[in-house]
Formats: sequence, C-alpha cells, structure tokens
Amino acid sequence: MIQSIRRKTSIYGAIAAMVPKEYSAYSIWVWMQFIVQIISMMIFVYFWRAVYAGASTLGGLNLQQTINYILLAQILMPIVETRMIFQFGFMVRNGAVATELLRPLDFQGRFYIENLAGLGVFAIEKLPLLLVAIVFFGLQLPADPLIWGVFAISLSLGASILFLFDWIFASLAFYSTETWGLSVVRVGVATFFSGALVPLTMMPTWLQNVAAALPFGQTIFVPVSFLSSITPIANAPQVWLVQLVWLIGLLILSRWVFSRAVRQITVQGG
Amino acid sequence: MPIIQTDNLSKVFKVPRKDPGVAGAVKALFRPRYDAKVAVDGISFTVEPGEIIGYIGVNGAGKSTTIKMLTGILMSSGGAVRVLGRDPHRERVANAREIGVVFGQRTQLWWDLAFIESLNLVAKIYEVEPARYKQLLDQFSEILELKALLRVPIRNMSLGQKMRAELAATLIHEPRIVYLDEPTIGLDLIVKDRIREFIKHLNRDKGTTVILTTHDLGDIEELCQRVIIIDAGKLIYDGPLSTIKERFGKFREITFQLAKHDSTLQPPTGSEIIAREEYQVTLRFDRTLTTASQVASAVMSEIDVVDFSLSEPDLASIVKQIYNGALEQVAV
Repeated sequence: MIQSIRRKTSIYGAIAAMVPKEYSAYSIWVWMQFIVQIISMMIFVYFWRAVYAGASTLGGLNLQQTINYILLAQILMPIVETRMIFQFGFMVRNGAVATELLRPLDFQGRFYIENLAGLGVFAIEKLPLLLVAIVFFGLQLPADPLIWGVFAISLSLGASILFLFDWIFASLAFYSTETWGLSVVRVGVATFFSGALVPLTMMPTWLQNVAAALPFGQTIFVPVSFLSSITPIANAPQVWLVQLVWLIGLLILSRWVFSRAVRQITVQGG
Repeated sequence: MPIIQTDNLSKVFKVPRKDPGVAGAVKALFRPRYDAKVAVDGISFTVEPGEIIGYIGVNGAGKSTTIKMLTGILMSSGGAVRVLGRDPHRERVANAREIGVVFGQRTQLWWDLAFIESLNLVAKIYEVEPARYKQLLDQFSEILELKALLRVPIRNMSLGQKMRAELAATLIHEPRIVYLDEPTIGLDLIVKDRIREFIKHLNRDKGTTVILTTHDLGDIEELCQRVIIIDAGKLIYDGPLSTIKERFGKFREITFQLAKHDSTLQPPTGSEIIAREEYQVTLRFDRTLTTASQVASAVMSEIDVVDFSLSEPDLASIVKQIYNGALEQVAV
C-alpha cells in the first residue's frame, strides 16, 4: 500500500514538475494577460466606487469589502477560463488522443495533476498582480494566516470541482469533436456565475438560486469570500462540507461518463 | 503460447451521412443519419513471441485500425482480441505498460521541451530503473546517434531526428511488443537504414515482438519473415515473405531514357516491352530467365540510351495480382 502510494507520488510528481517547464515557453502570453487584467481591475474599481457613491452598503457589503472582493475575483478569474473542453475536442480531432491513451496512466488522474500543478504556477505568476492591486487599487488583505489557509483549501477544492465538471463536458468530445461552441458558452456562464464579475450575494434571489445549483461559485466566490472577509472562517467546516459533496458527486459522475465516452472514440487517420 | 491472438476481429465505424448541398446539411442537422463503415472485417491471426510481422495493405485497408484495437485505444465491434493474455481495451493501462507504439505521423514527446526532459519523464512514467535507464540511454544514443539531439526541443528537429527520438522514447521501457505504424515514412535512406538496424537489434537481443505496418517493401524485406496482407478490412494473405517474393519478386521493370526517338527496339530474351513513349521505353523482365545487366546491355547495344532506372513491383500491384488469383495455390 505504502509502496504503491510512493510509486504513484513519484510518477505523478514528475508529471507535475513538467508543467512549469512547459509554461515558460509562452511568456509573452503571460505579460499580455497581465495588462488585460490590470485594465479590467481599474475598470471594476471605478465602476464600484461610482455605484457606492449613493449608498454605504449594498447586499450587506460596504465599499471596501466589495473592492477587496472584486479585485481578488478579477485576479483569480482566469482559473474559470480553462480550455479543457476545447482541448479535448482538438485532441480527438487531430488524433493526438491516441498517444495520450497509450500512456500507462490513469487518463483523468494525469490531467488532474497537470491542472493542479497549473494552479500552483498560476498562484506564483499572479503575485505581481496582487502587489499592483494593493499599491494602486487599495486592496486590503487579511494578516491572519488562518484565513489564508482556509482560502487555499477552499480554492483547491473549488478548482478540483471545476475540473471534474469540465471533464464531463470534455468527454462529449468523444461523441462530437466540435466542442469549441460548448467551450465558449461554458466560459461565459462560468464567468458570470462564479462571481468573478459581481459578488453572488448581490444578485437577486432567483439568480442566487441558479448560481447555487451550478458549481462555478465554488471556484471563485466561495474562496474569495473568505479572503475578503465576507464569510467568517468559523463557517469554514460547513463550506468545505458542501464543496466535498460537490467534489465526490462530480468525481463519480465524471468517471462514469468518461468510461462510456472512451468506447466511442474514433481516431482519425489510417 | 501466442503473444497476440485475434479471432474474427471487426471494427465498424458510424459515419454521418450528408446529402449534398445546403438542404442536405440542414437535413443532417435535424435528423442525422449514419452509414456503417466496416474498417476491419473478421480478421483472425496469432503472433508468437519474437516474431517480426509485416502488416501491410494499401491506404484505408484497415491496418491502423487493427493496430489501434491491439493497443487498446479502440474498442472492437466484434470478435475477440487478446494481447499478452489481456483484453487490451478493458485493461488499457496494464497493457500500455508492456507495449510500445510509434505512429509515424505523431509524437508522444513534449513539443517544447528538450528531448532529454521528455525522455526522463517517459522513463519515470514507465518506472525504468535509474541504472538500467542510463545503460539503455547510452546504448540507444549510440545506435540511433542521439547524443547531439538530447538538448534539442522536439519542435526544432527534422523529420528523421524526430523519428529517432520517438523510437528511443518508445523503447526505453523495453516493451515486449512494439507496434510500428509507418516508422520510415518520409525518411531518407540513411535514416531508414539506421532505424531498420535498431529494430533488428531489439528483436535479436531482447526477443521483442514487432508488428510493422509500412508501404515500404524495403522495410518488409529487411525485417520480416512473415507478412499479413489485408485489403478492404479482410485478411487476404498470411504467410512467409518468401512466398510473396517468389511470386512477385520474379519481375523487375527497367526504364530507359532515349537520346532520340526509336520504334525499332526488339525486347531481349526473357523480357517484354510494357510501355513505349517518345523518348522512353519500359521493359519488364523475369529475373529467373535473365538479369538486369543482360537486358541493359542488349538494349544499349541497339539504341542510344541516356539513362535508365530499375524498379520493383509495388504493394498496390501485388495486392491487385493477389485478387487476380496469383496466390490461389498458396494456403491462406
């Protein structure tokens, strides 16, 4: 048992270590995204200041809470813009899926590890942006390391939930390789319902219900609420429980869907 | 005990049917209809450990589809397949551990990373002992001349370099069965030679079983004792290469470029003229009756020849001849 865990850690660790090496190959893209994100942070800050000009609280949040929330949500937003659904379609269409299936690895496990390692790279990459937000846009961060710990756990859970949710739709690529449209719709819906644009608590009740029925809020709204002191950390166990239910449910469903979908595969060429 | 066994193996693809024109496209949108395309049609064969088998057929004959079922990527639509005693699709990961696959037109390596990084990771994934890995790396580097390539990213490699890198990465875990799908496609003679040597070395020293699909009859002649020929998804020949060579290797074609127009040339003994153009004439001769040099010198003594070239019968013509009954007396 311990032997097997050690072997798996070694294999998947090596895969995770490849992610940052591959990443540095696209550094121009990273800088471009920086500029875009700084501009959008600026727009959001001015927008919310204007909204708060006539009110001291909105949806139970004061201006500083909202600014904190929206800056953090903007920095984290690229997490929900994953390309996995599109990537699967591409992989099936050009036949690269064949070589991927030939590796002696759990297909989902391997993509999950890469996804998680990508999150680590992302966290380091976004540090300068955090600095910009603090210095220029008045972001106030909690000093309590416990809050950061709670945030980190709920962000990892949230990213895993999103991964599994996407996995189900990505598996559709085995039936129809045209997943580009699906991918675009998914990013649009996810950006809105993750709370990356507006805190979910400010939405009308019926929209909040819709958001609660979707997994996207678990990825941005839930963790950011901890860090912007909207949700007290005393609520953490409850929040984690909800996240775990999402996680386990989607894990079972995604593995079932994939095991069906992989039988459908047709590899182009030959 | 066979290492690979297929029994009446079949694969049927569903292909969406679209009527031509906009109306057809709209119709297909609302009520998609599918045609069944039979890619592999009831193929049975067995492979013993240590064999090198040439699995050949023209484009679209079903070669790659068969390979994909053997490797576990595709699920069969009918019949049975067992590789090393397993169902390769159901036990895909366990099967993948013991096989190596090269698809001539794809890479399993990481495009942007130095080759050695990819290789290290592959070795890690297959859990190759570090000491063994070092030993194999030295060995492969020498045979495939990889030393200068280790630091080069895959995307910067030429086709021949890429294929050598690919082979090393595929074989670093010493798989028991290797599937090579068009491994020499588009490569020059020197690289082809090197790759053939490498495959021979593996088979001789490690007893690796090799299934090779190719259009290059040179590959087959160099490497295989046994060939399986399929056409339109059906097995049309399974037997020794020597039988094929006896039947079809008998004839050669020789083409002469002429300095000036000629219509008087009489074919030398054992040959016949099969094409005559203004400045070119092509003869076919029987190797058991005459030789290329005899034919060439007989022709050159009669007319003014600028250049000539010799060619062997190609796969398509062999397949055609098999259909025309050329192998009827051979047990299939």
